Amino acid sequence: MKQTPKDKKIMARMQPGVITYSGFLGNDTRDFNQVISDDEMVLEELGKSAEDIAARLEYFQQKSFDAFEASTVVDDIYDVNTEVVRGYLPCPFMHQGVYRKSYTTVTNTKSGKSFTYSALNIHLIRVHHFFEGKKSHFRLEPRELVAELF
Amino acid sequence: MLSRIFQDIGLMSAIGVILALIMVLAQRWLSNYGEVTININKKRDLVVTGGNTLLASLADKQIFIPSACGGRGTCGACKCQVFEGGGPILPTEKPQLTKEEMADNVRLSCQVKVKTDININIPEEIFNIRKFNSVIEEIIDYTYDIKGVTFKLTEGQSIDFKAGQYVQLETKPYAKVKQKAIRAYSISSKPELNNRIQLIVRLVPEGICTTWVHTQLKVGDKVDFTGPYGDFYLRDTEADILFVAGGSGSAPIKSMLEHLREVGTSRKMTYFFGARSAKDLYLGDEMRTFEEYFDDFTYVPVLSHATEEDHWEGKTGFLMPYFKEAIRDPKNTEAYLCGSPGMIAAVTKSLINDYGIDEGKIYYDSFG
Amino acid sequence: MEISAFVLFWAAIFTGNILLTYFLGMCSYLSISKEIESAFGLGIAVAFVLIVTSALNWLVYYYILIPFGIVYLQYIVFIIVIAAFVQFLELVIERYTPSLYYSLGIFLPLITVNCAILGVGLFMIIRKYSFIQTLAFSAGSGIGWLLAILMLAAIRRKLKEKMVPAGLRGAAISLIITGIMALGFIGFSGIVQIQ
Repeated sequence: MKQTPKDKKIMARMQPGVITYSGFLGNDTRDFNQVISDDEMVLEELGKSAEDIAARLEYFQQKSFDAFEASTVVDDIYDVNTEVVRGYLPCPFMHQGVYRKSYTTVTNTKSGKSFTYSALNIHLIRVHHFFEGKKSHFRLEPRELVAELF
Repeated sequence: MLSRIFQDIGLMSAIGVILALIMVLAQRWLSNYGEVTININKKRDLVVTGGNTLLASLADKQIFIPSACGGRGTCGACKCQVFEGGGPILPTEKPQLTKEEMADNVRLSCQVKVKTDININIPEEIFNIRKFNSVIEEIIDYTYDIKGVTFKLTEGQSIDFKAGQYVQLETKPYAKVKQKAIRAYSISSKPELNNRIQLIVRLVPEGICTTWVHTQLKVGDKVDFTGPYGDFYLRDTEADILFVAGGSGSAPIKSMLEHLREVGTSRKMTYFFGARSAKDLYLGDEMRTFEEYFDDFTYVPVLSHATEEDHWEGKTGFLMPYFKEAIRDPKNTEAYLCGSPGMIAAVTKSLINDYGIDEGKIYYDSFG
Repeated sequence: MEISAFVLFWAAIFTGNILLTYFLGMCSYLSISKEIESAFGLGIAVAFVLIVTSALNWLVYYYILIPFGIVYLQYIVFIIVIAAFVQFLELVIERYTPSLYYSLGIFLPLITVNCAILGVGLFMIIRKYSFIQTLAFSAGSGIGWLLAILMLAAIRRKLKEKMVPAGLRGAAISLIITGIMALGFIGFSGIVQIQ
């Protein structure tokens, strides 16, 4: 399937070294549209919307910002902390605005499983339903997110 | 028969040549804007060849408007006022501009093409900004993820900056990264040393430039940077000083302290450095030398997550409660903060509400 | 061949829609129909280029190819004329209307290889249209193409929120939709018939 000029630009921006060091697609060979629609099917199965997940991630991030990024316990079982470094990331889908380089780590202390995501990840999930490609550094598995964070 | 073939080939070629000629002429005519004049701040005129972006045309004349994305219209850093000759606001600019800015003639200089004489307004400080070529002189491992890198300017160049300002490094393509990137880092060396600068660079997960600095750079490598930028710099007063930094935010503070040692001061100074655990602390020896040198300087490292192995006996938790002993007279105290937005927000709030320090005397350089 | 230009214009939009009846210009039709804005931009660009290049090609055909007896080279010549004109247009737009360039400019290179444009050029020759007829026919075809891609883009937008079986996603479902749209357009065929 041919890509629109916009899709091509987006694909180019997702490549390693354009916005982030190893890009947004990891070792995925799928087109990003395919990645999105595959994850959308998983979401449908799980009965959660991308908005639900983004809101949950944002909730933890906000709790962490409220605690001035220091380590904090949320809802009794989640250990949350955030690292912020200098700079901003633009959205690969060429949406307006830039996202702070903040990296929030949420650990479910019951299972020991933890997730790290940036402010950009929340935007990507909420607006574009994009959880990043397989083996990408910031790939978030919808299945795991729903199992551990809700 | 043969002549017929030749005739047809000739005709065909003629059509091709005519069209090609039209294209060449069109290119000459339409894409040639001749020499145009950029008038800056109604004071100076620059004559440039038309057709390029404003950002590139100015860079050609050694005037560097800050830009973090390298002219792709994504960072919005290269804003400047264009009064005449900029043409309409382009769809590529709109996402980065607010309504007020649009009304105020603010444009993205990386998107505006210089096609006619153009009238612009840029801050005076920008004229100090230059492009420098340098060679890496020294790389120090401060911690497991923080390096201090010294760049020696090539012969005949010197940089004129204020303690606390930053520069923008230009990376070269490496490994998977196929284009150059531009990222900002604070200068950590003193302004008196004007033929070299030191930067403190912390490795950022997935960071294009920090990964480059940490994995690719070697002593002797050639690196280009532009600068100095920023309005975070030491004010020349006699007020007491509160320095607060976290992570790699100690770079500008180090520069300010080294500068103060050069010029001499008797100001009361306290430096609070926030880190997670003992392994994130660095520059401790330098700070102790400063403590010995200055009349009244105290270095206070504070750990937020001291671990068992750290055997940490110093201060822990938030920084704010410890300010009490450092502030004699809130009306005569300046604060210089550098670190994450969370830390800066928390510290600023506390300084204003709990300690009564003037908001106008709190200077900060936020990572966010 | 004495159909009035007015009739030709409407016929080219509805009964003989270049895309839905002849299935020309499919590639960009399928790939640029994900968003209505892009579809509209491309549609307008195609319509404009169609009208101008058809007129140019008509002149080239009757005043150069026929007199010199090289009609058999029409395919190549038409393609060159289209390509050159599109390039030329890109330069003009960039110079005089930069904002239009940013919205239309990215589509122009795609048009060079759009078969609807060559198709119209060849139809006008086969059907022996006069210059005026050619103008009407190409304008109608362009508008018809724009109409078709806009309809598909609108339907695909609705479709985005719906579950489509995995095997049918993307081009497959678009082709099915196009087929149904084409069937719908057959309904117009009673109004007027050309060809």
